[in-house]
Amino acid sequence: MARSIWKGPFVDGYLLKKAEASRASGKNEVIKIWSRRSTILPQFVGLTFGVYNGKKHIPVAVSEEMIGQKFGEYSPTRTYYGHAADKKAKRK
Amino acid sequence: MSDSDRVCVGAIAGAFGVMGEVRLKSFCADPTAIADYGPLFTEDGATSYKITLTRPVSGGLGARVTGVKTKEEADALKGVQLYADRTRLPKLPDDEFYHADLIGLEVRDTGGVVLGKVLSVNNHGAGDILEISGPAIKGAQMIPFTLAIVPTVDLALGRVIVDLPDGLIE
Repeated sequence: MARSIWKGPFVDGYLLKKAEASRASGKNEVIKIWSRRSTILPQFVGLTFGVYNGKKHIPVAVSEEMIGQKFGEYSPTRTYYGHAADKKAKRK
Repeated sequence: MSDSDRVCVGAIAGAFGVMGEVRLKSFCADPTAIADYGPLFTEDGATSYKITLTRPVSGGLGARVTGVKTKEEADALKGVQLYADRTRLPKLPDDEFYHADLIGLEVRDTGGVVLGKVLSVNNHGAGDILEISGPAIKGAQMIPFTLAIVPTVDLALGRVIVDLPDGLIE
């Protein structure tokens, strides 16, 4: 069942504090978080979070399209290495 | 031609039907693109094949391979990995790189200190990520493949320069 709208999106409190502190400092840093269950909010856009996957922190650069998703969706807990073949990576 | 000049683009999963067709597994981003990279070679480069795709089949693509006319000949090719010449892949614009080119590059920080090598390139939905490993790093670490963090990719010299933000590497 979907979460009731009147409750608003769930976010762990410490995340908001960390994000605010990072924005205030203006430093280019990765915010390490363990809260995979937290919803990505508009105020996180532009920040880079290191989302824990049970073993290490996976960097997640938050963009507008990710708002409303959970952090855990971008930090898989299982590893699969396919073949490189003709796959491409773009530097943004 | 050395092994590094070839990239694995697919494999033969076995025979398909009794008319000498094979079931082809394509590792390409667009599976049907495998036919454009021909001729394809075996891992040791000794044998080359021309591939003609026939139809999509369950678990891969149906294909005809030059010189294969019977089911027995197709069965004999089961498990053969197919390699394409790196030069057959289309040229990419600036700031776009093939994973095959990035994997294995040396990673240095802005001070010139060698951190390790690129193990793999991943994308979990939040942009491309380089997985790097080396003596200066504890385990394998992930770094975002962005202009800010990876300002220089020098394929000719075989290295990338990274400007690591605080807290990224343990």
